[in-house]
Amino acid sequence: MPAWIRRAAVSIAKGHRVTLDQMLRRPITSLYPEEPVPHFPGFRSIPVLKANEETGKLNCTACGLCARSCPPQIIFVESVVGDDGRRKQWPAFFNLDLSRCMVCNLCVEACPFDALEMSADNELSAYDVRDLFFNMEELAALWKTAPAVRIAGGQKR
Amino acid sequence: MLPLWLQWVLWGILKAVLVLLFVTVNAIILIWLERKVSGHIQNRIGPLRVGGPAGVLQSFADIIKLLAKEDFFPKRGDPWVWWLAPSVAFAPALMVFFVLPIGPHLVVQDMNVGLLFIVAITSFSVLSVFMAGWGSNDKYSLIGAMRAGAQLFSYELPMVLALVAVTLATGTLNISEIVARQQGMWLIFPQFLAFLVFYIGAIAELNRTPFDLGEAESELVAGYHTEYSGIRWAMFMLGEYTNLLTSSILVSLVFLGGWSGPLLPGWVWVLIKAYLLIFVAMWIRWTLPRVRIDQLMDLGWKFLLPLSLLNIALTGVYMAVMA
Amino acid sequence: MEKGSEVYTAEEAGRLGREGITEPIVINLGPQHPSTHGVLRLITTLDGETVLKAQPDIGYLHRNWEKIVEGWQYPQIIPFADRNDYISAIFNEWLVCKSVEDALGIELDKRAEVLRTIFAELNRLISHQLWFGTYAMDIGAFTPFVYALRDREWGYALLEKATGARQLYAFFRIGGLRNDVPDGWIEELSQYLDYFEKEAYPQYVDLLTGNEIFIQRSEGVGVVSRDVALAFGATGPVLRGSGVPYDVRKAHPYGVYGEVEFEVPVGEHGDNLDRAMVRMKEMLESVKIIRQCVELLPEEGEVLTSRVPRVLKLPEGNYYTRLESPRGEVGLWVVSTGGLGPYRMKWRAPSFVNLQLLDHMARGEKVADLIAALGTIDIILGEVDR
Repeated sequence: MPAWIRRAAVSIAKGHRVTLDQMLRRPITSLYPEEPVPHFPGFRSIPVLKANEETGKLNCTACGLCARSCPPQIIFVESVVGDDGRRKQWPAFFNLDLSRCMVCNLCVEACPFDALEMSADNELSAYDVRDLFFNMEELAALWKTAPAVRIAGGQKR
Repeated sequence: MLPLWLQWVLWGILKAVLVLLFVTVNAIILIWLERKVSGHIQNRIGPLRVGGPAGVLQSFADIIKLLAKEDFFPKRGDPWVWWLAPSVAFAPALMVFFVLPIGPHLVVQDMNVGLLFIVAITSFSVLSVFMAGWGSNDKYSLIGAMRAGAQLFSYELPMVLALVAVTLATGTLNISEIVARQQGMWLIFPQFLAFLVFYIGAIAELNRTPFDLGEAESELVAGYHTEYSGIRWAMFMLGEYTNLLTSSILVSLVFLGGWSGPLLPGWVWVLIKAYLLIFVAMWIRWTLPRVRIDQLMDLGWKFLLPLSLLNIALTGVYMAVMA
Repeated sequence: MEKGSEVYTAEEAGRLGREGITEPIVINLGPQHPSTHGVLRLITTLDGETVLKAQPDIGYLHRNWEKIVEGWQYPQIIPFADRNDYISAIFNEWLVCKSVEDALGIELDKRAEVLRTIFAELNRLISHQLWFGTYAMDIGAFTPFVYALRDREWGYALLEKATGARQLYAFFRIGGLRNDVPDGWIEELSQYLDYFEKEAYPQYVDLLTGNEIFIQRSEGVGVVSRDVALAFGATGPVLRGSGVPYDVRKAHPYGVYGEVEFEVPVGEHGDNLDRAMVRMKEMLESVKIIRQCVELLPEEGEVLTSRVPRVLKLPEGNYYTRLESPRGEVGLWVVSTGGLGPYRMKWRAPSFVNLQLLDHMARGEKVADLIAALGTIDIILGEVDR
């Protein structure tokens, strides 16, 4: 018998052993919508607005550092202008365009007031791109509903 | 009492319907089985969501989906050739069943030249492939059809020669007779070379990996049925899986002793053996990579053909010495 | 030959040394095609089954990366650079960080350097696993692809635990890493390496790379000689498969590659089999490097050094930095005028350079081998088009 026939037969038999062995094992598939896949601590989705636990007011002071640090420039924040014509220390609006967000965490790192946090809720898909535009109330509500998590290791710049 | 010719016609129609039902049900089960086997080989679950035990209703859902699809026709294709190709693919696969005994006396027409009839009818599949490839007016389809044509021609020959050795050994072309001659010993043992050649050839004829060059997904998208959709594509699939069933039943009849087996009725044994062979074909499909066209030709003409000729010579010498 | 004039003349056929050429057909493989690894279009001229010419047409994934980052500050470029080679994003981040660190002379703590090396090699392992799967699919075997994805998933889970994202990490910062790895991460990494070495890798070998059909399909196909590979500027496994032992990790050590021992696998003939085997061996080398890095890892240390200046401005001038990514030498040319961001950035993408060899590899081969050759180049379209 030529050597190549033997070689081919042995190698093909080895391959079939692997597939049969795997066939008799338990499948590794997880049925996603029924069994939600848990995220590891530190998983980040979009930045959400934190509120003070006692007063319930947002920590944000509308300083705009997050907007300046954002690479795709998708954070739109403006401070309230009072009756006296001076800018106040809280935001008039805070909008986030999720459709362009890179979830890079740079805005959280830029914030000096601990007003932003990365949320772990990643099931934010929508049928219309306009639904991916989040305003201040929605972002604050997301922080309350979705457990936001600190970055892994607990260390922060 | 009905006139004789009408009885004859009605019986024919009834038999045809029964065969069609048997083939369709089996093909649907096979499509589901292929998905389950491939799924479990790949550590997946396979179809599950549609319902039934282990998602067995998936194939029915697919048929409904395919029936509801748009009947697409390539604008510059050849309409008649294009329209006829799926039927030409499915009809021979069905016709083989009229001479294929599923159990003792469980056959539509027990032909004396059954084996010859099967060999002749299965050659038609190359025609359907070529019609589909040519009628689509698509380069992928054309290359796929050319490949499949060359492949089917060159594997037809070793397969037929393997069956010639079987005929030499048993002395008959009637399949029921061949099964009857295997009561002492299954033909796979004295005719192992013929079995090997026939089974490899059958996998190649069926266009299954590692010989699925006609529909080589990674380079030809879907080969000769690239342009088909909806129910026409389903006819190709049905034909393919019917062919898988026929060749597995044929191998189990000719080489594995057919309906000989203890306890269970004969037709159950045939189906058990056939489904075992089908599983092996699926197992091979989901394990091996695809060969190249020149390697395929080499294997067919330089290995299988000499092997089958050698087998005929050996069988002839053995028969002469024993006689 | 110019784009658009795809008709093969008799002279051109004669130049190829082919007699009795039949009417060539031009076929568009892609951009919608099962195996173009994204959105590559190959304008292929075929004589029956034989490839006369394969012309890659790129640009379907062009995002204008180099122009966009011109207005950005250096830290902002890191997450966007991830999108270049999205299968091995760590290398892109490292490259941007390294170019700034080298220019400013920022020294990293040992822990940060070792962790960076660990992350890079883990990502290389994952990237080569994906290559294994896609190459298997290119030559017609589907099951190895699923196995590769199955094993890759654990590696991705490890990266997600440390960085917070599966694929586009945005994890490296100028001066180190964003955060330290969580407790128990190193132990799990060792488990993963054991699993890969003892269970997954033998499966790959038995199922595909040891298979006779695979060897017959790959041997002597798509040959790139040593001289051609050098002339085209190929790097990475494509160059090493042709027998040139060039590896940036050895030639210009960075990270802690100077302190660990590893081999640079080299092929002999430069065919598909050699390139495939170089990658298979590199997976084991990566495992070896990570094991040594775990030994080297100091218990204490700042992962983000405090010696980074508050305002990052590169002095005026040109800077070139390079790394060894899974696909070859990835380089970044930065032109600075002294501002907060670059005046110009040029990304040297190894996929782009290696892709130029496709036509050379595929000519005269069968159309199935064209796809196989494309598989062994291991292109990432995000990097080719940028």
